[in-house]
Amino acid sequence: MNMARVWPVVLQYGGGAFLCAVGVWFGIRSGFLDLKTSDGKRLLALIVGGYLAMLIFSCIFTFWLPFVPRGATQ
Amino acid sequence: MNEITQQLGTNLDYVVMLGYFGAVVAFGLYFGRYTHSTKDFFFGGQRFAWWLIAFSGIATTVGSYSFVKYSDVGFKYGLSSTQSYLNDWFWMPILMLVWLPIIYYARVTSVPEYFERRFGRGSRVAATLIVLTYLMAYIGVNLFTLGQVFETLLGWPVMVGALVTAIAVTVYVVAGGQTSVIMTDLAQGIILLVVGLGLLFAGIYHFGGFGDFWALLPQTHKYVFSDLTEPPKFSALGIYMQDGVINTGAFVLINQGMIMRFLSLKSVKDAQKMAACWILVLAPLAAIATAGGGWIGKALVIEGSLDTSSKQAFIRTAHFLCAPGIFGFVLAALTAALMSTADTLINAVSAIIVNDIWKPFVQPKATDKHLLGVARITSVVAAGIGLAFVVVYVKAYDSIYQAHAMVTASIPAPMVVAVLLGIFWKRFTPVACFVTLVGGSIAMGLSFVPAFADTLIGPFSFGMGPDSYKFMRALYGLVVCGVLGIVVSLFTKPKQTAELVGLVTGTEMEAMRRYKGGDVNRRAGKKARATLVVDAAMSARDNDIERFAIVSRPALDAMAAEPGDLLYICDTRWWFGGLRSVHVKAAECGEEGRVVISPGALEVAHLKDGQEVMIEKIM
Repeated sequence: MNMARVWPVVLQYGGGAFLCAVGVWFGIRSGFLDLKTSDGKRLLALIVGGYLAMLIFSCIFTFWLPFVPRGATQ
Repeated sequence: MNEITQQLGTNLDYVVMLGYFGAVVAFGLYFGRYTHSTKDFFFGGQRFAWWLIAFSGIATTVGSYSFVKYSDVGFKYGLSSTQSYLNDWFWMPILMLVWLPIIYYARVTSVPEYFERRFGRGSRVAATLIVLTYLMAYIGVNLFTLGQVFETLLGWPVMVGALVTAIAVTVYVVAGGQTSVIMTDLAQGIILLVVGLGLLFAGIYHFGGFGDFWALLPQTHKYVFSDLTEPPKFSALGIYMQDGVINTGAFVLINQGMIMRFLSLKSVKDAQKMAACWILVLAPLAAIATAGGGWIGKALVIEGSLDTSSKQAFIRTAHFLCAPGIFGFVLAALTAALMSTADTLINAVSAIIVNDIWKPFVQPKATDKHLLGVARITSVVAAGIGLAFVVVYVKAYDSIYQAHAMVTASIPAPMVVAVLLGIFWKRFTPVACFVTLVGGSIAMGLSFVPAFADTLIGPFSFGMGPDSYKFMRALYGLVVCGVLGIVVSLFTKPKQTAELVGLVTGTEMEAMRRYKGGDVNRRAGKKARATLVVDAAMSARDNDIERFAIVSRPALDAMAAEPGDLLYICDTRWWFGGLRSVHVKAAECGEEGRVVISPGALEVAHLKDGQEVMIEKIM
C-alpha cells in the first residue's frame, strides 16, 4: 500500500475524530446532548453518520476511483 | 481573467448579467418591509427556518474569489481542491453542542460581546478592533474585485464599478438589513449552485460521459488528497492545518456574518439542522460547483479543445461550453458571489459598530429606534470605508493587497484559540485572553517579516520549506497562541465560576433556563394547527422581551407543552421559511382550534387575523 496516500486520510480523519469526540463529550457532559431522548440519539447518529460518509467518500476517491478507468474507457 | 473577458461574451450576456443585478437589488428592497427593530435588522427577527438559512449561507461562503480561485486550484491539482470543504464536518459537534447553545441562549449579539461577558472590557475592545479591521478590509477587497469584473466586461473604471456595486448592495442592506441579505442570498445561492454544477455536467456531456471525462484527467488529479507533505505549496498537511483547523474554526466560531446567520434561526434545533444540511450537502456541492470549471478545463486542454492557463480556467471553460445568453448567467453567478458576500459583511460591520461601540460607549441608554437609525447609517459608513480601501487598492495594489493578506491571515489563529480556551477552560483568565489576542496577533504579524519567517515558521513546516509557510503559519499560530493563553492563565486570576454561567461549556442547561425564564421542557411533541385570533386585551401582557399567546389544551397536549413554554407561531405555507412568524410564551389554556395573540405580536408576525397557523413548541 502506498503510505503517501494513507497518511493524509489518517491525519484528516484522526484529527477529525478528536474534534468530534471533544464536541460530543462536552455536549453529553453538559446535558445538552441528552441520549435518553430520540432527538439526542438522532443528533449523535447524524454526527457519526456524517463523519463516516466523509470517510467513505475520501476512501473511494483515494483507493478505488483513481484506478478504475485505467484501460476501461481509453 | 481580466485581459480575456472583454473578448468573451455578447451584448445579450451583458444584458442578462445586468438584468440579474437589478433583479437582486429589487428583490432585496422588497423585504425592507419586514424590518422594524434592531433584532430584525441584525438577526432577521430570529424567525427563519433552517433550509432558508442553509442556502443563503452557501452564497455567503462562496465569495469573491471562489470560482476563479478554486477552478485555478482544481485545474492545477485536481480533486484535492475539495479538501478544504471535507474538513468542515469535524467542527460540527463543537458548533452544534457547545458554541451555538452558548451564543444563542446567552443572547450574545456579536463576537466582541462574548469577549466582554466572558473576560471583560479590555478583551472586547481588542476583539472589536481586530474584527472590524478584518471585516472592513474584506468589504474593500470584495468591492475592488467586482470593480475589476465590471472594468473588464463593460470598460468601466474599477472605482466606478465598485461604487455602483456598493450603492446597489447598500441600498437593500439599509432597507431590509439581515432579512434582505438572507432573501437575496437565498436566490444567489441557488444560481451559484445551478451555474457551477450545470457547467460541470455540460462538460461531462461534452466528453460523452463521466468515464470519458475521468479517463482524460491525469492520475494525480483523481485523488481527494495531495501527498502528506508534497507539493509544499499544496500539501495535505498544510491544507489540513490552514483550512481544517484554523480557517474552518474561524468560520464556525468567530465569523460575525455567520454567527448572525445562526442567530437568525428560529431555534437552536433549526441551527443544528441548518449546519448539518450546509456542511454535509450544500458545502460539498459548492466545492464541486466552484472547482468543477478547473477539472473540466484541464480535461479540455488535454483533449486539445481549449488553450487556457489555470487562472483563466473558469471563465474560458464557461465560455467554451455556454451558448450566448447562457454565458450571461455565468457572469451573473460571478456577480452573485461577490454581492452576496459584500452584503453580509456590511451588515456584520454595522452590527459590530452598533453593538460593540455605539451601545456600550456612546449612548448606553439609546432606544431601539435610535439604534436602528444608527445601524442604517453605519451600513452606509461601512460601505464607504470599504470604498476607501478600494481607492487604496487601485493606487497601490500589490503592496496593499499583500498587507491585507497579512492582516487577514494574522487574525483567525489568536481569535480561534481565545474562543476555544474561553468556552472549554474555566481557568482561562481575562488577562490571558487579552495577551492571547494582542500578543498572538503580533506574533502572527512578525511571521510575515522575511527575516523572521524561517526562524518562526520553519520549525513547524515539517521540512517542507518556505513554499509551505503560507499554510504552516496556521500551526505556528495555534501553538504560539495556545502557549501564551495557557502560561499566562497559570499566573493570573480567573473569574469566579458564578460569573461564567452560560458562557462556558457545562452551563448550557442553566443558560437555557435563563433564556426561557423557567424550567426547560424538552419532551418530544408534534406541531399543531389553529386559527389565529387577535385580542387587544392581550397587549397588557406583552413587553419588548416576551409576548404571550392563549393556546387550547388539546394543542398544548399535542405539542407536549405547558403554559409558560416557548412557542413559535408561523404561516402554514412552508416556503415562507418563517418570514411570517413570531415567538410567544404559552399562557393559560383557551378555546379549542384557536390561538389568541396581541395586535403587537400580530404586527411582528406579519400574519393575518383569522388565518390558519402552525404552532410549534421550542422549549
